Amino acid sequence: MTATNAGQTAQTARVSPTRPRPRTHTTHVRGRLAALILANVGVLAVAAIFVIPLLWVLLASVNRTAGLTVSLPDHWTLDNFRAVLTPETTYRPMLNGVILCGGAALLTIICATLAGYALSRFKTRYKRPFLLTILFSTGLPITAIMVPVYGLFVQLNLIDTISGTMLFMAATGLPFAIWLMKNFMDSVPVTLEEAAWTDGASRMKTLWYVILPLVWPGISVVAIFTFVGMWGNFFVPFVLLLSPDKLPASVSIYTFFSQYGQVAYGQLAAYSLLYSGPVVILFLFLSRKLGGAFAFGGAVKG
Amino acid sequence: MTTAPPAKLKRAVGQGAPLGPAAVLLLVFLFGPILWSVYAAFTNASLSGAGAAASHFVGLANFKKAFAADGFYNSVVLTLVFTLISAIIGQNALGLMLALWMRKSLRFVRALGGAVVIGAWVLPEVVAGYLWYAFLAKDGSLNHVLSGLGLGTQDWLFSLPIVAVSIANIWRGTAFSMLVYSAALSDIPLEIEEAAQVDGASGWRRLVSITLPMIRRSIMTNLMLITLQTLSVFGLIFTMTRGGPGTKSQTLPLYMYEQAFSFGNLGYGTAIAIMLLLVGAVFSLIYLRALDVDTR
Amino acid sequence: MHLGLGLGLGLTACSGSSSGGNTSGGNATIKVAYQQFGEGKVMANFLAGVKTEFEKANPGKKIQLLPLVASENDYYTKLALMLRSPSTTPDVVYEDTFLINSDIKASYLKPLDSYLAKWPAWGQFVDTAKGAAKAADGKTYGVPDGTDTRGLWYNKHIFAKAGLPANWQPKTWVDVLTAARQIKAKVPGVTPLNIYASKAAGEATSMQGFEMLLYGTPNQLYDAKSSKWVVGSKGFLDALGMVKTVFGEKLTPSPQDATDANLGNTISQQWLPQDKIGIALDGSWVNNTWQSTGPKPWPQWSSVMGEAAMPTQNGEAPGKVSLSGGWTWAISNKSANADLAWKFISELQTEKNAANYAVAGTQIAVRKDVAADPTYLKANSETPVFTDVVKVTQYRPAYPEYPQISNQIQVAMESVMTGQQTPKQAQQVYDEAVKGIVGPDKTTTQ
Repeated sequence: MTATNAGQTAQTARVSPTRPRPRTHTTHVRGRLAALILANVGVLAVAAIFVIPLLWVLLASVNRTAGLTVSLPDHWTLDNFRAVLTPETTYRPMLNGVILCGGAALLTIICATLAGYALSRFKTRYKRPFLLTILFSTGLPITAIMVPVYGLFVQLNLIDTISGTMLFMAATGLPFAIWLMKNFMDSVPVTLEEAAWTDGASRMKTLWYVILPLVWPGISVVAIFTFVGMWGNFFVPFVLLLSPDKLPASVSIYTFFSQYGQVAYGQLAAYSLLYSGPVVILFLFLSRKLGGAFAFGGAVKG
Repeated sequence: MTTAPPAKLKRAVGQGAPLGPAAVLLLVFLFGPILWSVYAAFTNASLSGAGAAASHFVGLANFKKAFAADGFYNSVVLTLVFTLISAIIGQNALGLMLALWMRKSLRFVRALGGAVVIGAWVLPEVVAGYLWYAFLAKDGSLNHVLSGLGLGTQDWLFSLPIVAVSIANIWRGTAFSMLVYSAALSDIPLEIEEAAQVDGASGWRRLVSITLPMIRRSIMTNLMLITLQTLSVFGLIFTMTRGGPGTKSQTLPLYMYEQAFSFGNLGYGTAIAIMLLLVGAVFSLIYLRALDVDTR
Repeated sequence: MHLGLGLGLGLTACSGSSSGGNTSGGNATIKVAYQQFGEGKVMANFLAGVKTEFEKANPGKKIQLLPLVASENDYYTKLALMLRSPSTTPDVVYEDTFLINSDIKASYLKPLDSYLAKWPAWGQFVDTAKGAAKAADGKTYGVPDGTDTRGLWYNKHIFAKAGLPANWQPKTWVDVLTAARQIKAKVPGVTPLNIYASKAAGEATSMQGFEMLLYGTPNQLYDAKSSKWVVGSKGFLDALGMVKTVFGEKLTPSPQDATDANLGNTISQQWLPQDKIGIALDGSWVNNTWQSTGPKPWPQWSSVMGEAAMPTQNGEAPGKVSLSGGWTWAISNKSANADLAWKFISELQTEKNAANYAVAGTQIAVRKDVAADPTYLKANSETPVFTDVVKVTQYRPAYPEYPQISNQIQVAMESVMTGQQTPKQAQQVYDEAVKGIVGPDKTTTQ
């Protein structure tokens, strides 16, 4: 990297008599090398620090007598996994979670895409305050409104329904999603649509065939942010769902806490690994499609 | 180009129609309950006990109670400290640093670093809480490492609870800032920086005078988003310390939860939630003001 | 303003059609809600068994079991939400004696006196148990199914090393202190005693910690005669003084350990089996941990662990102190099938079923017939002291304000434990807080 770039900079160098004389080629190379090493070492150091807390869940999940301390197991075992991999403990809640969060995320994506499109193209001076209000509402902890939501759901007969809970979770994901999608839509030039209209295409058709292919990276970003948020959400499904066989994995994690607060740590760790699985898989899948995890940031940079 | 009103209206409707589904969801499921909550803040509604059978309008009593309560001020201060340390300084700076370094890193270093940092981010909150609880416990990994290096050990969750949860939150949320800044930095043409370097500007100088101003917009957006997200963090702190020891890490969301659900004082709890929103509004206004000034 | 209120709370209170059909004849379903905690299948299995019997004996009547998977607080929240509306309310609910008064005040529960008067088994219940679910209006709202007690677990290995007797029974607080001091002197590296005193331990601090001390003094937390909360009592001060002494002399876990929310687990799963703690003031359920199906199987526990009742302060009658929690079966006020719901409860509490549950759930019996039942006796022979002490056990003043008062107790305990305040200062803070919670006219001195 250093050799080739040095050549380029030589071409773009500006020399001015009042400035200190430019550094020579060798100091350039040395300086750059030092910077490179620092960068790489820095990242690795941070990664090393970040990995340490993860050690607990990895070690405890294969430890028969796991406690809260991080220690190499005396008895290595896969029993913890075996114990939790039952339909009741893992399979059904995970499936419920996938349906609930997947469905809600899908709904959010659809509504946010449409809304983002409208907001992007709509000319009105109320747009900025409206968007800011939307953004600002993401600061509200959802636990605060769960009681009136429960009442509302009873009224609408949506209590204890997966579909009802899905609608609510979609609604809570909308503010951030709309804001993201609007940003993406902004980067699609209107001229493309206008070209399609002069060709006689309807608005909806334009959206589907012209716009969507261009913003699907944005859709992926919304997908991952929304799904990650919903997957970890305990309180909403806990309040709105009554039947135990409808509960998602975020709620059933409490099966590991017994009456007097006694926790089965080994199983908790094993379950945590399984529970984190879907979000990790989704993330890997989407980032591969986008050409690297770092494309996710593009949505938000504003 | 005079357009007859019907056509203009038609176009407005056409443009606005796609907002429909989102608007319905938002109004019914979000703003409706929020309005009820705002109303409830002025009553003595409760989940159980006398206030549940019949609640009364109590005007500003809940708000007055908050301002008179030590617990409230404690929560506000802790929330500000938590947000400052973990979001405004922690995640922001670390994310930026990582993004800057990763621009220059080898491919596999970038992939490895990215994977670990992002892994911490996607992990569910409850799990992250337990991880950090184990990490910071008296005979947890951190103390093992420290004693291995010959440094003193402490019971971090006891002595510095708000700092402990702040660091856990940095761990959890840095990925977001890192991704945002990576994308923002990738927009900066390399030639500009190299030109400055040839001119003799040091790395630090380049950063402050050239790079940062160019991504100013992203910095403000990022700060606003992570501040709002951090203000409402609940699960992580709850799992790690339950707000303790005592109330030493009881930020506003935890205080609200304790009041509304542990004690059943819904009216009071929602008043707290509203004040949390106001804190968020203040932060947002500050950021927007800063952004506006810059773009002028 | 009631218009707006109707819009809000009306949403929750009076909506939807009620579930289930009519009670007489025909088909009906009743919903039974209970807390599902941990891997424990005890309650689930028990209810499944009773459900089968009931449905066989009552054709056309179905039982729908509703386990609410949640930790303590969330369970109460969920239950309160469900009880607010006829369309979501369960018919039979499992209520903790801790919060039942709160739900009674909210008009969520139905008085059971008319049913109890006609129920022969009610005479078998111990008097204190009958009072567990009695409200301020004098009516009874729940049937207790068992309870727990509290006392002193001690490690005989450590006692032997310290020169203390294997069958230890202290008579006063000073006896407990003496034993702890002796352990400290003779067995270094071991924590002599634990008394829960932190906010993180929650209700354990209030019940196993503070109230086990206070109830051994002549003073009370709540004066039932005048219906007022007690402030400024000597007993309160003495209880805090005891905490100051044991923590000050370092006879207890360090403040760091003591403020850990998981201390209870650490003690039962690690310290006791590993001979690292001498005496633990804790509950009758602790041996659950050591069963083969528990989190820390310990086959030798019954030979290593001894039990002693917690003494009163200076040996005053009755000489022993215990507090009880416990759960009750109640009927929702909005249930459409109250009679059928009652029928199910009485089925749950036939002598045989009650005894079965008491054994499976390691409960202490609250009924004389269950206490005499051979299976029960055999199972509880392993913890004779904890079982015996139910005779003197007391329930908390479980009024709606209790959770907030309990919170203040924990605050006081912790500030004394950490040395931040003297007992006198902590008591002053408590007194002020209580006056703020219930109003000064609801407090009294003793």
